Amino acid sequence: MIRSLRPWLTHLYPKAWRDRYEAEFSALLEQCLNSPLDVVDILLGAVDAHLLLFSGESLNWRIMNMLNKIRTSVMIVFSAYIGFVIAGFALVGMADDSPMIALTKTNPALMVAWNILQACSAVAFLAVVIGGLPLAITIIRRALTDARQGLGLLLVPVFAFLILVAYFGFIILVGIGQIKIPGFVRVVQPGPFPPGNRLLLAGLMATFVLGAIASTLAVWKLVSRTDTEQETFRAIKRSLTVKIYNFAFWPAVVTTLAMFIMLAATLTWGWLSFSALPQAFAGNFGPWGTSTQAWFIAISLLMTLSTLAAILGLSRARSKV
Amino acid sequence: MDINDFGHFSNPSLLILASLAGGEKHGYAMMEDIHTMTGVRLGAGTLYGAITRLEQTGLIEALPMGDRRRPYRLTAQGAAILHQTLSELEKFAGLGLKRLAAA
Repeated sequence: MIRSLRPWLTHLYPKAWRDRYEAEFSALLEQCLNSPLDVVDILLGAVDAHLLLFSGESLNWRIMNMLNKIRTSVMIVFSAYIGFVIAGFALVGMADDSPMIALTKTNPALMVAWNILQACSAVAFLAVVIGGLPLAITIIRRALTDARQGLGLLLVPVFAFLILVAYFGFIILVGIGQIKIPGFVRVVQPGPFPPGNRLLLAGLMATFVLGAIASTLAVWKLVSRTDTEQETFRAIKRSLTVKIYNFAFWPAVVTTLAMFIMLAATLTWGWLSFSALPQAFAGNFGPWGTSTQAWFIAISLLMTLSTLAAILGLSRARSKV
Repeated sequence: MDINDFGHFSNPSLLILASLAGGEKHGYAMMEDIHTMTGVRLGAGTLYGAITRLEQTGLIEALPMGDRRRPYRLTAQGAAILHQTLSELEKFAGLGLKRLAAA
C-alpha cells in the first residue's frame, strides 16, 4: 500500500529537483519506503526542496543539471534531424517527378549543389547512427530491464515502422489492382493528379510523418526516464565504457553542420533551378500533385526550422545559465 | 563555511560526510552505513535534503550513475570541513569529559 505511493511522493518534489535526483531517489524509495513515518519524512523533504529552490541559498540548478543540458541538446539535434529528413524526402519526391532532375544532370552548378546535398545527407545519417548507437542500445537495455516503464514506449517506433511497411504493401496491392480505390489511376499522365492517387500518397506521407513524430516523442520519453550517463559495452572479451551523451555531442555538432550545409545547398539548388527553368516551379510536382512552388517553400521552411532548432539545441549545451 | 549552516540538516549532513569518509556510496548504502555507525536511521527525504545541500556547496560530488543508483564521494573541501567539525567535537567532548571527571 505504502509502496504504491512512491510515484506520487516523488512528484511532490519540484521539477528542477526531480530532473536531477528523481531516478536515484525512486530507486532508493523502492528499498526503504516501508512505514507512514517514511512517508512523512518524504513529505517534509518535498516541502524543504521547494523552499530550497526558491530561497536565496539555492544553487544554480541549471548549472547542476549540466548532464541534462547535454542530453537535451543531443535529443533536440536528433529530433530536428528527423524533421530535416521528412523535408528531404519531400524534396526528393518533388524533384523526382519534375523536370528538375533532368535539368540538374545537364547543369554543372545544379549538379554540384545536388551532390553536396547528397554527400551531407550521408554524413548527417552516419553521424546520427554513430552518435545515437550507444544511446539507443542503452535505452533498449533499460527498457527491457524495466519492462513496466519502457517496453510500451520502445514498441512505438517498431509499430510505426511496421505500419509504414504495411502501408507500402497496401500501395503495392492497389498498384497491381488487388485492391480498388475510387479515382486511382495506375499510370499517371502529366497534368492534374488523380484524386485516388492523391489520397494514397497523402496517406503515405501522413503515416510517415505521424510515425516519425510518435517515435521521436517515445524516444524522448524513454531518454528522460533513462538517467544513465554511461554504459559499458562488452564484445569479444573486451569492455568499453562510454559516456553516452558526451559521446553523442560531437556527432550532433556534425549533424547540425551537415544540416546547415544541406539547407544552403537546397536553397542554392532551388534558386539555380528557378533561374534556369522558371516554368518547372509553375507546375504541380508536389508530393501529391500540388503546387511545386508552394511545396518548395514549405520544404525550405521545414529545413530552416529544423536547422535553427538544432543550432539552438547545441547553443543550449554551451550556455552557462 | 560551517556545517551548522545547514540548519535542520546539519546532523544528517555530518553523518553523510562521515559515512563518505569511508569511501564512495550511493544513498541506500549511506543509510545503512550511518545506521551501523550511529544507530540513526535517516529517512529518504532527510537524506536527500542533506545530499542536495552538500552537493550544492561542493562538499560532496556525484559520480556517474550505474544501475539507477548514483554514488557520491567526499570532495577535498568536504573532507576539510568534516575534519574541522570532528576536531571541534573532539575538543568539546574532551572538555566535557574532563569536567565530569572533576565533578
